[in-house]
Amino acid sequence: MAAGTSGILLEAHGLTKAFDGNVVLNGVDLTLHAGEVHAVVGENGAGKSTLIKTLGGVHRPDAGHLAIAGVETTLRSPRDAIARGIMVIHQELSLAPHLTVAENIYLGHFPRSRIGLIDRQRMHRQTGDLLRRLHIGIDPRTVTGDLSIAQQQMVEIAKAISFKAQVLILDEPTAVLDEDMVGTLFELIAKLKADGLGIVFISHHLEEIFRIADTVTVLRDGKRTGVSPVSEVDQDWLVSKMIGRNFPAFNAGARRPGEPALEVRNLSRAGQFEDISFTAHKGEIVGLAGLVGAGRTEVAQAIVGISRPTSGEVRVFGKPVRFRNPGSATKLAIAYVSEDRKSLGLLPNRPVRENATISNLSRFRRLGFLRLGKERAYVRDVIKRLDVRLPGMDAEIRTLSGGNQQKVLIGRALAVEPRILIFDEPTRGVDIGAKSEIYAFIDGLVASGMCVVLISSEMEELLRLADRIVVLRRGRVATTLSRAEASETTILQAAALAG
Amino acid sequence: MTTTFSSNVASFARIWRRVGVFAALVLLVIAASFLSDRFLTAPNLLNILRQVAIVGILAIGMTFVILTRGIDLSVGSILGISVVLYAGLLEHYSMAVAIPLGLAAAMLAGLVNGIGVAWARIPPFIMTLGMLSFARGLAFIYTGGTPIPILNENFYDLGNGYVFGVPIPSLILLAVLAVSAVVLSLTAFGRSIYAIGSNEDAARLSGVPVHQYKVIVYVISGLVSGLAGLVYASQLSIGTPIAGQGYELDAIAAVVVGGTSLFGGKGSVGGTFIGTLIIGVLANTLNLTGVDPYVQQLFKGALIVVAVYVMSRSDRA
Repeated sequence: MAAGTSGILLEAHGLTKAFDGNVVLNGVDLTLHAGEVHAVVGENGAGKSTLIKTLGGVHRPDAGHLAIAGVETTLRSPRDAIARGIMVIHQELSLAPHLTVAENIYLGHFPRSRIGLIDRQRMHRQTGDLLRRLHIGIDPRTVTGDLSIAQQQMVEIAKAISFKAQVLILDEPTAVLDEDMVGTLFELIAKLKADGLGIVFISHHLEEIFRIADTVTVLRDGKRTGVSPVSEVDQDWLVSKMIGRNFPAFNAGARRPGEPALEVRNLSRAGQFEDISFTAHKGEIVGLAGLVGAGRTEVAQAIVGISRPTSGEVRVFGKPVRFRNPGSATKLAIAYVSEDRKSLGLLPNRPVRENATISNLSRFRRLGFLRLGKERAYVRDVIKRLDVRLPGMDAEIRTLSGGNQQKVLIGRALAVEPRILIFDEPTRGVDIGAKSEIYAFIDGLVASGMCVVLISSEMEELLRLADRIVVLRRGRVATTLSRAEASETTILQAAALAG
Repeated sequence: MTTTFSSNVASFARIWRRVGVFAALVLLVIAASFLSDRFLTAPNLLNILRQVAIVGILAIGMTFVILTRGIDLSVGSILGISVVLYAGLLEHYSMAVAIPLGLAAAMLAGLVNGIGVAWARIPPFIMTLGMLSFARGLAFIYTGGTPIPILNENFYDLGNGYVFGVPIPSLILLAVLAVSAVVLSLTAFGRSIYAIGSNEDAARLSGVPVHQYKVIVYVISGLVSGLAGLVYASQLSIGTPIAGQGYELDAIAAVVVGGTSLFGGKGSVGGTFIGTLIIGVLANTLNLTGVDPYVQQLFKGALIVVAVYVMSRSDRA
């Protein structure tokens, strides 16, 4: 693929894509020139990943046109996109860890000798040439699994180049990298840019855009809300285009927080988060905000004993505690509702009833035997309080909708009679109706004295519910915002911008 | 076409799990009584119940393990080691000494399995495959390869005696079944076994002591293997080191035919008992009607495959 005379590698016009009637990409335009780094930013759910998947041939747009090097094209598959020089590098790398670097790069198009065997010498020589050309200092014979994440990313990019890619789409490549590695990646990107490749760069970290991108496109709710040369805009402009509208900051809360319930002091876990401190009181909601990878879930899991912190202290109602497993957190009346319903929450092929009570069976036990009648009464109560809609409490939980599953899992958390409840993305994958019901339910719990820690990626959710918001950035507390200070802008700035 | 077929299979599978295992047994009994007029006689039925006792007991222990999404390939070998221990110890000691020691050895083997699986995170298939070989080796070493005759006549009753006209092995099987059914359905431990098999991580997060319970499950499997060994040693009145060879597969067959999912979290010991009876009745009927023993193997093999196929459809549905 050669660039057209105008130097335009890729031109998308009016790309539209809907899933189940839900429009996630709505008439988006994007133009990519040779030698350009084009950043795409937006909040979660703005349509970034759908855009990438459409450009990478995974989704076919419902409407709109795509021209590659000036030629109108329909991409039928990722393979088709690759054949036309468009390569997507996903956050989760797709290298085979047991193969060598050279084998990974040439997987699927191995150089062959005359009798049809893999020509290893040629493969290693060509890989060496390629890596040298890209200034990547890795031996082609290294087993890929022994490389760092950053090096593996380099290999993946080299692989794309070996496929003669002209357009490289990098989906949040820095999310898994630390600062030094980000620098190395950016050097490589600058090199590719100088070689005339076009690069689409997705990132949550706004400061990176100013470091590396030439152009920026902002998406919100599936629409393009702004596009500009990076040199002509500032961070405020980006944030305003990302958020777009002003939410009423808060429902004026009538909450009356009581004594400190959960005190986290200088909590650290090597490689995940450092020096996290905050206090949550009875009868209030403390929000934990931050971008994906900021360490929110890791902090929560260390608090409840799923993982062990390397240093720091957790106090529960004034008493220092060290949980060795989730069971011991339960005994101190801390419950955790995981963000990962499928792998950490559901007992998929067990009845709703058992799913709701597994966290505290001792509650229904006398003389060693479960009292099924008492258990049923508890589950009936949960179903009523949370308005769970289901065929019956003996239905397998996997047959329920996401919202109803989540309500049952909240019921499971309540079975331990918690005084502190940690919700991790409580409305992920939950429909709007159930969402507002869950909000109201959490609000009700807090009104009756529950201490709630709310982890959420949804600004609106945090602003609506939380009394204070602790913003994490790359494993550290960036800032703590009071109800008055918190807004989408302040949260996003703290979460995404360099301090 | 295919989708209709697979959804038909899936809905059939759901019914199969609920009532089908039992219905299949009833159908089989009806068919058997037409095929042979000797089938539906009290002596023959009691004979079946005695014949299935050993594998039936093993299969109940196996059900616990499979419910946690594990497997225990070593039950036949653990049975073997307990058999030679009973025989060896009865040469010098009374039953009161020999039986507890044999059972303890079987539990110890299960404990090693459990620790390997739960704490060392060795896949159950591998851990118990190792124990299959190891325990069998111990049985050969203990006997020096020569079977040890059992001369204690009181011991014979365990495998050959009757209480109220019912063979004692069958009573042991029924007792193990009853206790297991209560434990699985009415205790926190039993409930947690299902939870572990359904989603181990979710169970751990809910405070279930997953490691501990997994160990207990393998100890239970060891214990019932020792009990089955008791029946075996008594019936044959000889402690042979090859005792129980291949029984692990018969036990697994009974579990899956009985509707317990190899993917964990789904099934019951009641189902396993019926699965045991289905296989037992099938064998008995084929015997009575004079079917070649080699051909009998074909029937059994086909039964297992069909049962697992049907069940796996319902797991996916």
